Amino acid sequence: MNAATPAATAAGQHHDERLIRVYVWEWPVRIAHWVIFFSILVLGFTGYYIYDPFIISRGHPGFLMGTMRFIHEVTGFVFIAAFLLRAYWFFKGNRWARWRQFLLIDSRQWRGARNMLRYYLFLRREPESRVGHNPLAGATYSTIYTLAVIEILTGLALLQHVAGGKVLGFFIGWLPLLITIQRLREIHFLILFIFGAFFIHHVYSAVLMSIEEHSGLMGSIFSGYKFFPVDFVAADPARIPGEDVLPVAPPGRGQRARRKHAAGKGAAPAPGSPSTPGKPSPH
Amino acid sequence: MPPLDQDLPSALEARGVSRRDFLEFCSLMLATLALPTRYLGKVVSALSQPQRPVLVWMEFQDCAGNTESMLRSSHPSVAEVVLDLLSWEYHETIMAGAGKAAETTLQNVVKNHKGKYIAVVEGAIPTADDGVYCTIAGRTALDIAREVCSNSAANIAVGACAWDGGLVRANPNPTGALGLEEAVPGVPVVNLGGCPHNVANTAAVLVHYLTFHEMPALDPYNRPLFAYGQIIHDQCQRRAHYDAGRFVEEWGDEGSRKGWCLYKMGCKGPEATYNCPVVRWNDGTSWPVQSGHGCIACAAHRFWDWSSPFYKKLPNVPGFGVDVTAEEVGWGVVGVVAGVTAAHAVGTVIRAHKEASEGSKESGSKPESKSASPEA
Repeated sequence: MNAATPAATAAGQHHDERLIRVYVWEWPVRIAHWVIFFSILVLGFTGYYIYDPFIISRGHPGFLMGTMRFIHEVTGFVFIAAFLLRAYWFFKGNRWARWRQFLLIDSRQWRGARNMLRYYLFLRREPESRVGHNPLAGATYSTIYTLAVIEILTGLALLQHVAGGKVLGFFIGWLPLLITIQRLREIHFLILFIFGAFFIHHVYSAVLMSIEEHSGLMGSIFSGYKFFPVDFVAADPARIPGEDVLPVAPPGRGQRARRKHAAGKGAAPAPGSPSTPGKPSPH
Repeated sequence: MPPLDQDLPSALEARGVSRRDFLEFCSLMLATLALPTRYLGKVVSALSQPQRPVLVWMEFQDCAGNTESMLRSSHPSVAEVVLDLLSWEYHETIMAGAGKAAETTLQNVVKNHKGKYIAVVEGAIPTADDGVYCTIAGRTALDIAREVCSNSAANIAVGACAWDGGLVRANPNPTGALGLEEAVPGVPVVNLGGCPHNVANTAAVLVHYLTFHEMPALDPYNRPLFAYGQIIHDQCQRRAHYDAGRFVEEWGDEGSRKGWCLYKMGCKGPEATYNCPVVRWNDGTSWPVQSGHGCIACAAHRFWDWSSPFYKKLPNVPGFGVDVTAEEVGWGVVGVVAGVTAAHAVGTVIRAHKEASEGSKESGSKPESKSASPEA
């Protein structure tokens, strides 16, 4: 986090190291995150079974493959719903959930991604800390989202191939005409492993960043809150023009949080009166 | 061929095909076309009409397997009835004429029956090097197909090769072979994929044409829906074993003896659409999966390239060896990432220890940025 401190001081702001609590991940982000996580877990297990039925039910009448496929198909739609919720939040969410955070569209993002890559390669000591996620993580997530789109499309195409249906056929019937079903199956299958590899990296890097930043990162995906120095948050490049410099938690919870925080640690209350991001600054 | 000098039923009877056989054939055609039984009368009367549309059967890059399939159909009535209904003017394998006389016949059909005859194409059409890889009487297959198929009333592409190029077009396709549809774009074609075509389906298409004077409903690949509208897997008699989770794991094992599902042996039944399990082969005797071999999706688009390897569940991943399965590639990706992550974790711990020892050496002058260093 201190990586941004020089920037803040360079901008001529008061050097304020006191921690504030920032509501970074809003509930749709967290809900989508965990629904996606659990649905991929279920989809991965049932999907792998559908690829390679490793349990053979002998003799006894059963419906194992039928059940696996049923769970897989239903969970697939749960996954789509979570994905759509998250996609909606690319446009409606707070500054850290916006689509811009996932693309390397300006030099600042590029620089950040490069710094982060250098950090991972042990060429740089400080990670590129951001209030939300760093640009390299954002680019990784957009890759994963792209793969999720491919997974959804190929999955729907495979479903349409067996289930038929006019509506599904209208939306996805074109795909098997372009790419043969066997190839679609293979793509659908291979992306599972990329998700698995991503899972390993994701958990590792989250723990690593949590240790490096001391920002409560691991807890933030449950609670939504992260803790940062005031001047670090003030220099947040993700800020949408016209927004408050210091975003604070929504009034009710935020006030409670601040009271607790003030009572416990004597940390600074957020400068200025509390207001939600997006509203004009009271300054 | 001379016109019929007697009505069809008595002509058939003269060939030993009884009225009962004829009606049986008509019912079979109805069933294949998935038409309601009330159409039986219509089919019977249409087939009894002394109409004799001219048919020419052209063979290009093929193995004559579809012709064999047609001729060897042991169901006596199928071949007999269809042969007797249509005036087959040209068929390289079975016609008596040869050389110039035969080619003149084909020319005469195009000239005299323009817009009225049915053209059946068997085999792929080479397009590389101006199509020199298949020539008949000095003309390229492409040239012949262009002329004959653009002047016909209907074109039927039988077998995988005529539909999408089949085996001939399989990678690396040295002759630039294409199916009829792609080689001669713009002409209406009914594709009857499969290696070979199923005679019952081809006969049904002809019967449909004779009865309703139009081709049956087609799917996006211009294949008749009655034959290619359903997945093999959904009509398979081993399907219950699939849903139950009972699979053959190697040839000759317990599951194999008990007739369990062949999915794990690379059966492509779940991908291919065909009425193979219903119509079957050799007069409805059996079909591949029933006899214990997985489906190779011979009726799927470009199946030589896209359904192979026939005994593996998924195709090979491009860029990897033929022995490397998609699953191995997948686990490889996970393994590499896990290894790199573990190495990075070790590196981070080493760095933290280094920093800790450096920090204790120069205690007191600890730089501020180090406050963020890991505690590990």
